[in-house]
Amino acid sequence: MRQILLITDGCSNVGMSPVVAAAHARSEGITVNVVGVLDNNEEASMAGREEIADIARAGGGLSRIVHERQLSQTVQLMTRKTVVTTIQQAVNRELKQVFGADAIEELPPEKRGQVVRVIDDLGETSDLKVALLIDASASMKPKLAAVEEAIRDLMLSLQARSGRSEIAVFHFPHSSSGDDCMCDLDWTDNLTGMRSIIPKLQMRGTTPTGPALMQVIDFYGKGGYGRTTRRETDGISGDYVV
Amino acid sequence: MTTSFDIRLARGSVLTGKWKKGQYRVERLLGEGANGKVYLVEHLGRHYALKIGGDAVDLQSEINVLQSLAVQKKGAEPFLIAVDDFRHQDGKEYPFYVMRYVKGSNLNEFLHREGADWFPLIGFHLLGRLAALHEAGWAFGDLKQENVMVGEFGRVELVDYGGVTAAGKSVRQFTEIYDRGYWNGGTRTAEGSYDLFSFAVLCIQQFEGKRLLQLTQTLLPQNRNIEELLKLAAASPTLKPFNGWLDQALKGGFSSAREGAAAWQRLMYGPGVRMRRQKGSGWVKGLFTASMVVLAATVVWMFAEGVIPDGLW
Repeated sequence: MRQILLITDGCSNVGMSPVVAAAHARSEGITVNVVGVLDNNEEASMAGREEIADIARAGGGLSRIVHERQLSQTVQLMTRKTVVTTIQQAVNRELKQVFGADAIEELPPEKRGQVVRVIDDLGETSDLKVALLIDASASMKPKLAAVEEAIRDLMLSLQARSGRSEIAVFHFPHSSSGDDCMCDLDWTDNLTGMRSIIPKLQMRGTTPTGPALMQVIDFYGKGGYGRTTRRETDGISGDYVV
Repeated sequence: MTTSFDIRLARGSVLTGKWKKGQYRVERLLGEGANGKVYLVEHLGRHYALKIGGDAVDLQSEINVLQSLAVQKKGAEPFLIAVDDFRHQDGKEYPFYVMRYVKGSNLNEFLHREGADWFPLIGFHLLGRLAALHEAGWAFGDLKQENVMVGEFGRVELVDYGGVTAAGKSVRQFTEIYDRGYWNGGTRTAEGSYDLFSFAVLCIQQFEGKRLLQLTQTLLPQNRNIEELLKLAAASPTLKPFNGWLDQALKGGFSSAREGAAAWQRLMYGPGVRMRRQKGSGWVKGLFTASMVVLAATVVWMFAEGVIPDGLW
């Protein structure tokens, strides 16, 4: 399973639409979740709200707007929920064949138990990759400590899973021109001993959310994980839900 | 967060199950968990608690836990009564389950009303509940004040099974301040020691809640640790006899909740627990004074009435 988690606090203003980029991700089998983060007495602008919701919708994921202190919990819950949803979608496809039902809700309660046991089990044991894409434009600077904490907290939760779980971290805009986002941390399952994840940055004003998303999708592709992961997902649902 | 769900059931409205056709009349809202709302309902002349949720998968996970517990506890009064769906007038269907209604109040309310004298016994009963759950292969996960119901004579029931996780898996649901990971005290793996950690924080939250809250607001994430929690525990007179126990629970020193319960029980009858009588003890003194006054008045009256012959006095 593959996810991108975008953490931002405003609207994109450079390059391609992030909504289009998110739709690209989805067609590559990557779910895009978005968290809009506000400092503790800030209000989200309407335009920002809309964009955040649209990106998540296009990316097949969830969106939330939260204050800094809720960030860790939100990131953790969203990731977990998306894992369950992804598996649920795969299982729903199987249900059609096995029970002739379109969704779990259509099964009588007695039959749901078994299916949900399988979903819970797969949610725990399947491999998971989460690429975190951090908006590091000027207004995000005071929030980056909370973002780092949330990343560490997420790693802790993922480490308790039985399946292989890895994260990678990117920020945008890239401080020197050229690339749209910069990889701060390649795939890893451990953060112990790591002092800081997001380096001290020269903040710039632009927010190229769309191009940055495209680059992360590219990164997923280059890693050669794409095909393997997809085959595994299909294999899993076929093996278990019988 | 998983519930983008806001169903409200009016008092007196009747839910009819889609599959089994059971009817449940709503009396009032009892509480809200992460996966849904719990209502007090009446069904065939008896009271039950009905939990209704927005997500069939989340709710079914809870039901699976409750069913597995029921299988293991044969002979006891059934806890889970019915599982069904309800079609709301908004056209959507909501899954629900019906369980035994546990009369009582949550831990915090109970201790405020009945007094902290109850705390050691309730703690012991709660550890017993956790031990039984662990022995059945689960960890509770989201242990907190709101999820502990206390009934008559300090009887304890755990409510909201949304966080209950099979041993060895990652904890499904937790609340930050009770979470071992949050305090840099260990993993988020569902196991007995995870619940014992939360139990220890629960004790501290109960008696040093304000300072605990303050700590969470001022400490940097990397500085949250067990020693800070122990400092708070040491400051509370009620927790003093249990300091050593809390230390062990926070550091994963007990091999099981059963062992933790046994250690707790020994402390319960040890020094420092029963000696401490502060707030609740006022009435004893008051009663004594009052009876002395009554006695004196009676004696005076007896003399005046000549009930007691002079010679006797």
